[in-house]
Amino acid sequence: MIDVKKLWTKRRNAHVTQTLKYFSLMGNSGLIVSLILLIVIGSVYYAKLLQALPENFPAVFILTIVFSVWLTKSPIRTLLKEGDLVFLLPVESGMKQYFSKAISSATATGAFSTLFLFTLFWPIVQFFIHDGWKMYVTFGFFLIAAKVFNIYVSWEERRLPYRSHQTNYKILRFIVNFVYAYLLFNEAYLFLIAIFAVMYVLKNFVFGVFKKQHGYQWEMLLAEEQSLKMKGYRFVNYFTDVPALKQTVHKRPWLNSLASFSFKKKNTLSALYMKTFVRSGDYLGLYVRLIFIGFLFIYLIPAGWWQLIVVFLFFQMFALQLFTLYTQYRWNVVFIIYPIKQEVRVKAFQNWLKYLLIIQGVLYGLFYGFLSGDWLIAILMPVAAILYSIVRLPSMTKKHIMLTS
Amino acid sequence: MKPILEVTDLTGGYLPNQPVIHHLDFTVKENEIVGLIGLNGAGKSTTIKHVLGLMEPMSGTSKIEGQTFREEPENYRSQFTYIPEMPILYEELTLWEHLELTAMAYGLEEQTFLTRVRPLLEEFRMDNKIKWFPSQFSKGMKQKVMILCALLVEPKLYIVDEPFVGLDPLGIQSFLEYMVKFKNNGAGVLMSTHILSTAERYCDRFLIMHEGRLVLSGTLAELRVRSGLENATLDEIYLYVARGKVT
Repeated sequence: MIDVKKLWTKRRNAHVTQTLKYFSLMGNSGLIVSLILLIVIGSVYYAKLLQALPENFPAVFILTIVFSVWLTKSPIRTLLKEGDLVFLLPVESGMKQYFSKAISSATATGAFSTLFLFTLFWPIVQFFIHDGWKMYVTFGFFLIAAKVFNIYVSWEERRLPYRSHQTNYKILRFIVNFVYAYLLFNEAYLFLIAIFAVMYVLKNFVFGVFKKQHGYQWEMLLAEEQSLKMKGYRFVNYFTDVPALKQTVHKRPWLNSLASFSFKKKNTLSALYMKTFVRSGDYLGLYVRLIFIGFLFIYLIPAGWWQLIVVFLFFQMFALQLFTLYTQYRWNVVFIIYPIKQEVRVKAFQNWLKYLLIIQGVLYGLFYGFLSGDWLIAILMPVAAILYSIVRLPSMTKKHIMLTS
Repeated sequence: MKPILEVTDLTGGYLPNQPVIHHLDFTVKENEIVGLIGLNGAGKSTTIKHVLGLMEPMSGTSKIEGQTFREEPENYRSQFTYIPEMPILYEELTLWEHLELTAMAYGLEEQTFLTRVRPLLEEFRMDNKIKWFPSQFSKGMKQKVMILCALLVEPKLYIVDEPFVGLDPLGIQSFLEYMVKFKNNGAGVLMSTHILSTAERYCDRFLIMHEGRLVLSGTLAELRVRSGLENATLDEIYLYVARGKVT
């Protein structure tokens, strides 16, 4: 028999260890410095923004919207794994303890993050609604109370077998949360007590009933857990490489024209590489990010020929990151046995990179040209991209193929 | 009948000096379906990998139309298509794009592709799913995508690894009908499977492998004579071999 209580502790510990490991990796990647920078710059602009806001700024309305959405969204990390669908199903009756631990843990993080979010908005509250530490405590308390209610009730909501029904109850919760937040930020405490009564009824006589009618929706719980996990991974992936991150595919039909090739044998792999690039979350995201960071650098660094070196460095960064696509199909037998020569395969990959590098170069050139008016250097930027792909790419590819094969 | 695939004295494996398959000799000729059968771990997949040119033989050769993979890699591989046991798809491509990519890779003309693809899609009841991505497919549908890609090319030789698992009965029937049709048009098929009743009905010859060696081969009648089991089914002969009674 599986000890469900121990199972939760074990998984939570593993989860915490993993999270800490990723945080230390993120720290190594220079995150701390950029975070501090971001906080300093952010708070300066925040103070400026507050002063610039007009007298009649609808603070109550905005706070109400933000917090009713925040309260309604109540994620619960269950730390379920795919195998649980097979191995934990037989102990379903014993899972109550496991899930109640998950709910307590979600409550703790929910309360903490709610307070954190409120603290972020506290200057606005001070400015437009009411100042004083008593207010901070009062608002904080009521918001946390509502968060706890939402987590508890949304757990019951997760027992419903159909997504559409869950959504209906989510809308119901949103309405309650909206009224609750609105009354709270208007400091209408008497009405707030009436809402408490409504919440009590909802908890016991609406959401409380689901328990008797439905079991756990294992597949949906698993899907939620996986999507939360991936969200976390994707965040960490901005700073450091996450091998567990599953590639998500986006259809992006508006980019299809980029990936359309005429029906010829020599275009086979170019079509494949371009379609993969256009539809995978990571490659296109990386490309767009690098282009924007490049813009930022061009903007910050004074105009001059040295901008060409900056651009060159960005070409290099992009090419290095994109070499992973070459190895993506390394184990794909269908891909390997295509009757296509090795030279043609390498050529297709290089042409694909060249194409993207030139687009990158043109964008940098346009940006620089409009910014500085120095169109000579602007034109040299796409030229640099072409030179880079002729001179640098072949030797880089050769090295990469040798390293990976 | 002309041989398409000729495997001669083939020995190979994953570690030096530790061969997994030993001295295999067999052919697949025009107009025949050859069943490759054996227990799990008998060496079927390793044999197929050698034929595909994914593994280098320690000794012996695998020739398609008289050429080895080493001599003419591109030509060797353009002679056959392969249906793997586990479907392998590109997550980023739709069903239609899989078909198009395969046709391009094997050098089909666009017009040929278009005339062949419609009846295939209809036969396997996938014609309303051409814009779907692999994540939307069940295991059986993924298997169908692999089958469609392989059939589309109409090569001389088909190498098929356990095609029936996960496929619905109509799909199995359609697949077998296509195999028979292409066989009658001159193609050869090497098919590995555990579904012996189907193999018995559709294969012209059998290769029975046991512990990396080819222990018995021939038509069902020949197998009966060689094993000394009169009137036995393929099942019975196979079990007899698998228990190590033939060496």
